[in-house]
Amino acid sequence: MASSTPSGNLPSGLTDRSGSFFKLIDTFALEIGELKKEMVQTSPTADKEPMDLQGLESEVSGVYLQSPHCGGVGVERDSGYDSLRRRMSVLDRLTQTHPVWLLLAVSEEEASHILLKQPPGVFLVRKSAALQRKVLSVRLKEDQSGTPISHFPVRESQYTFSLDGSGISFADLFRLVAFYCISRDLLPFTLKLPEAIASAKTQKELEEVAQLGAGFWDSALCSQRRTSPCPRRPLSRTLSPQRTNRNREVEGSQQRLAGAHCDSAPPTLRPHAPPPSFHLERRHSSGPLCFVNPLFLQTHHHHRCEDDPPSRADIKSDNNLENAGNASVKPSSSSQGSEQHVDKIKLNGKSHPPPPRPPPPRSMPRRRPAPPPPGPTAATTRPKSMPEAVAVSTKQQQPSCRRPAPARPPMGAKHSSPSKTASSPIPVPSNPPPPRPKKPDLEAHRCHIALDDETIAKALSRAKLPPCQPPPAVPADALLENNAGNLSIPNERGRQRLSDMSMSTSSSDSLDYSQSPGFSLGLAPSPSLHLNHQDPVEDSSEDDDDGEEDEEEDYGVGLETDLEMRLRPSFKVRRRRQRVGVSLGGGSFILPRALKGRFRKVSGMLSSFMTPERRAVKRIAELSRDKSSYFGSLVQDYISFVQENRGCHTSGMDFLQTLRQFMTQMKAYLRQSSELDPPIESLIPEDQIDQVLEKAMHKCVLKPLKSVIEVALHDFQVSSGAWQRLRENLALAKTKKPQELGVDGAVPPDPVAIEKICHKFLSMQKMYSPEKKVSLLLRVCKLIYTIMQDNSGRMYGADDFLPMLTYVVAQCDMPQLDTEIQYMMELLDPSLLQGEGGYYLTSAYGAMALIKNFQEEQAARVLSSEARNTLHQWHRRRTTQRSVPSVDDFQNYLRVALQELDTGCTAKTLVVHPYTTTEEVCSLCASKFKIPDPENYALFLVTEDTSQQLAPDTHPQRIKAELHSRPLTQIFHFVYRRVSNLNLCIPAVMHNGNCL
Amino acid sequence: KSGRELGTFCFQDTGVGKSSIVCRFVQDHFDHNISPTIGASFLTKTVPCGHELHKFLIWDTAGQERFHSLAPMYYRGSAAAVIVYDITKLDSFQTLKKWVKELKEHGPEDIVVAIAGNKNDLGDIREVPMKEAKEFAESIAAIFIETSARNAVNVEELFQKISKQIPPLENPEVDSNDSFKLTRQPAPSARRCC
Repeated sequence: MASSTPSGNLPSGLTDRSGSFFKLIDTFALEIGELKKEMVQTSPTADKEPMDLQGLESEVSGVYLQSPHCGGVGVERDSGYDSLRRRMSVLDRLTQTHPVWLLLAVSEEEASHILLKQPPGVFLVRKSAALQRKVLSVRLKEDQSGTPISHFPVRESQYTFSLDGSGISFADLFRLVAFYCISRDLLPFTLKLPEAIASAKTQKELEEVAQLGAGFWDSALCSQRRTSPCPRRPLSRTLSPQRTNRNREVEGSQQRLAGAHCDSAPPTLRPHAPPPSFHLERRHSSGPLCFVNPLFLQTHHHHRCEDDPPSRADIKSDNNLENAGNASVKPSSSSQGSEQHVDKIKLNGKSHPPPPRPPPPRSMPRRRPAPPPPGPTAATTRPKSMPEAVAVSTKQQQPSCRRPAPARPPMGAKHSSPSKTASSPIPVPSNPPPPRPKKPDLEAHRCHIALDDETIAKALSRAKLPPCQPPPAVPADALLENNAGNLSIPNERGRQRLSDMSMSTSSSDSLDYSQSPGFSLGLAPSPSLHLNHQDPVEDSSEDDDDGEEDEEEDYGVGLETDLEMRLRPSFKVRRRRQRVGVSLGGGSFILPRALKGRFRKVSGMLSSFMTPERRAVKRIAELSRDKSSYFGSLVQDYISFVQENRGCHTSGMDFLQTLRQFMTQMKAYLRQSSELDPPIESLIPEDQIDQVLEKAMHKCVLKPLKSVIEVALHDFQVSSGAWQRLRENLALAKTKKPQELGVDGAVPPDPVAIEKICHKFLSMQKMYSPEKKVSLLLRVCKLIYTIMQDNSGRMYGADDFLPMLTYVVAQCDMPQLDTEIQYMMELLDPSLLQGEGGYYLTSAYGAMALIKNFQEEQAARVLSSEARNTLHQWHRRRTTQRSVPSVDDFQNYLRVALQELDTGCTAKTLVVHPYTTTEEVCSLCASKFKIPDPENYALFLVTEDTSQQLAPDTHPQRIKAELHSRPLTQIFHFVYRRVSNLNLCIPAVMHNGNCL
Repeated sequence: KSGRELGTFCFQDTGVGKSSIVCRFVQDHFDHNISPTIGASFLTKTVPCGHELHKFLIWDTAGQERFHSLAPMYYRGSAAAVIVYDITKLDSFQTLKKWVKELKEHGPEDIVVAIAGNKNDLGDIREVPMKEAKEFAESIAAIFIETSARNAVNVEELFQKISKQIPPLENPEVDSNDSFKLTRQPAPSARRCC
């Protein structure tokens, strides 16, 4: 089995199974093609979308977009998503509901306590204190080996997760668990999702479940769902006639589809993918599946039914479930208790969950205890059914998809990501995408993907069915719907954008007074513009620019796997999802050419090729732009503060240190807080987390501030006179022969090589990431080394290298290198300082220091004592800084807008401590805004429709915190403006704002 | 074993036979398919020690006088320092003493200091008696060993000794850093620096 295969040789693994795998895909691609045709015929009327859709897709999508009414979750936004959401894959469900089963803090005892009440197959993931590892705790069958619960340790190796003893590794925990829901590999049987999760039909339902957190296990939701088999046709009160009709339509088409399917598909499918062989194959799929496995995962979904005899029934019931889902928000569960429960939750859930407050403990914000299980926990009648219903989407993708589609043509993360490195720099739109409310768009994206997956899944499952059996009606339905959904993607995007905008507006933070939340990144438009403009600049060094480009687009960094690299070429050009599918087919990867045209569905998987690291970084970057999140508001406030207060630092070093500290603190915050959803531990192996966070911080903080930092550093140099001195010394050093700089025997680079090195330095300047800069520096060093060695055949140590580097730096004559080095020295992740990058960076610093002191050195042959001291200080600073500072220092920003009748608004970010009173803020404003008559001004809290003057003794920061902690985040701004009448001190309405 | 990175840096006076030693060391590395480094001035070497794997990150420092002032940059954060002298050159031993002094004054507090007398294959033209060097080492609580770059004598031992002096981590965990392991090995050669 897979388990024995060593992970790591991806290529071979791929080829092993590629043959039959392709066939399989081929077959269901065929199916899909046919289904699609069917669909077009059946649902032409459905399309009411004003949007400009293309051909089939528009028509098909119409069906889906409308069905939402039945989904009727009462979603505030485009209800269209709901119908799409219905179809969710195991992975999707898992990802959504991780607060339920991903209980890292739970002890073995507690886990056993929870699982004992559950049917076999139900599981938890927790962290074992003894092993210091994550373990998968699974409820076994009663008769098995005496122990009712078994614990399988999870192995986290570089970038992957796998079960101990298995050769199948996964990009993240969700994929791992999802896989084991479908294939048992080394488990005694497949995992089973709790019924409530498995049978949930809407996003909302999953959210409800997720909200319970660990409390789910004791809740009515858990026990009741489990015991009540879903009625076939749950009639929900919300069932609308319209919907019913639609259902009928759909059903009709399903049947037709089924028929067609029966006729054509099975024969084709049969020979290619007979169940047994597939079985084998699946087991085969060991090894380094990591980034491929999503594909497999989907595949397996389908097969799941084969594994389980009852699959048919399952399918049917699923179908019913789906219908039910369409018809009503409520799941089909019959018990009143659960319904009430759901309702209650819904109320809460309606508004987006409040962002965690200031220092949110990582613990279990959502895991509140739930009411004790009312009913007995009878074993489910259809133990293995849920995966079926579940088989659809992939929340996994969601992170990748979550971006404003229209705004960014390149569709960075998802599709272009793979193409990155290989591709030439692509100009990225300079306007950062508007902050997107996470819930809504996640869902939307997920939907697309889900559909894709489901399509595949269904097709696969049919492929496995015995030829004569009439295809289950439901799957056909599902297919149809899926296809529709899939096709409608472009459309969805369009809509989504609109709704996103409105969402983001409502969730924006007070600090953006003059700009709509959509532009919150606009705070830093110049830096990004800057970057973007520069990026296209040609550089002779191969992928340097590309590398940076990568970061620009999807945050990916140099860690891509080989697989990814291989995939890249084919992705390059494709921006659109549909085409991506095609390109995949054509690419070196897997799909046979024959599939290209019709196999669009697969495209959904592509996003899963994005490494977990990328997804995590991307997610964090998004969070950082979301001012309704606490993290986002900290980051954005800090960024705007820095932009507006360049002068507040005493030196470039001081400035950089503050930045470094901020990043370190934000990393610490992210690790402790629960704002990241899913938790980063589930995506990234523990030992990689810090470095991923570091990358994310570069993206969130350094990228928008790059130009500001550059200018500030340069200004400091100029004003201190260092710039001028450096220029002079550089000019002098440039005239020196290598020997005069200490080179002894080694052959120096010729002018051509120097030119090349200069180019590398220039491209280094364009990077915002200290790590990227360092990696370019390493290339320079490598080049120098190569030249030295090529010319002598021997190897050189520092005695030869350092003088040569000094010579090269002098020859390059780039005074700006000094600030570059400073930037790297101060901002580089402290953990990298000991490595090769740190070494050569130190060498570069040393070389530059020698040059800076060249004249003195000529006299004394020694560095000035001043330089020496600097080095000592740097050493001390950088080694002591390792202790993690607190977040508090960076919570102290408040953005206040000055509103003048004639000139409109200007906003400033001020340092305001938690206990700073409104009165003090007012006087601060008066001086910052240069108000001649401060007595006529006051601070107001302005929300959408209200404006309240704050009493002098209130604390604006507390008010802000309070507002942030409310379940429904509203827009609010602090406005400093003229008081119309001098009726001061209308007590602040904020009830607890100032009383805390 | 837990992979653990130890900053280590090496001093050496110039002309102690430097490059040949480092080159040899690096070439041995390449023989073992160790991830190639940029050049011979930064090297890594992994030594198993109890439950841990100690990965030495070896920073070579330039020996010339004019670069001495950069030394603090190199020894910052180091867990260990290897100071090399040439047993056939008394001068190099005097320089070593200066380095020790510098380290004691400005170096990290708990840095492990090792003194390596290189070229012990040239015992017949020795200028620094082993006894004297050993006593000096003891006086500063430093590790002492004589090595031969040419004959690859005692290089491995040098690092083993350092490894043993590194305080163990609190809770040793399992780690998969084995890829860095270069255990077998006719130890390269003593390094001039390091």
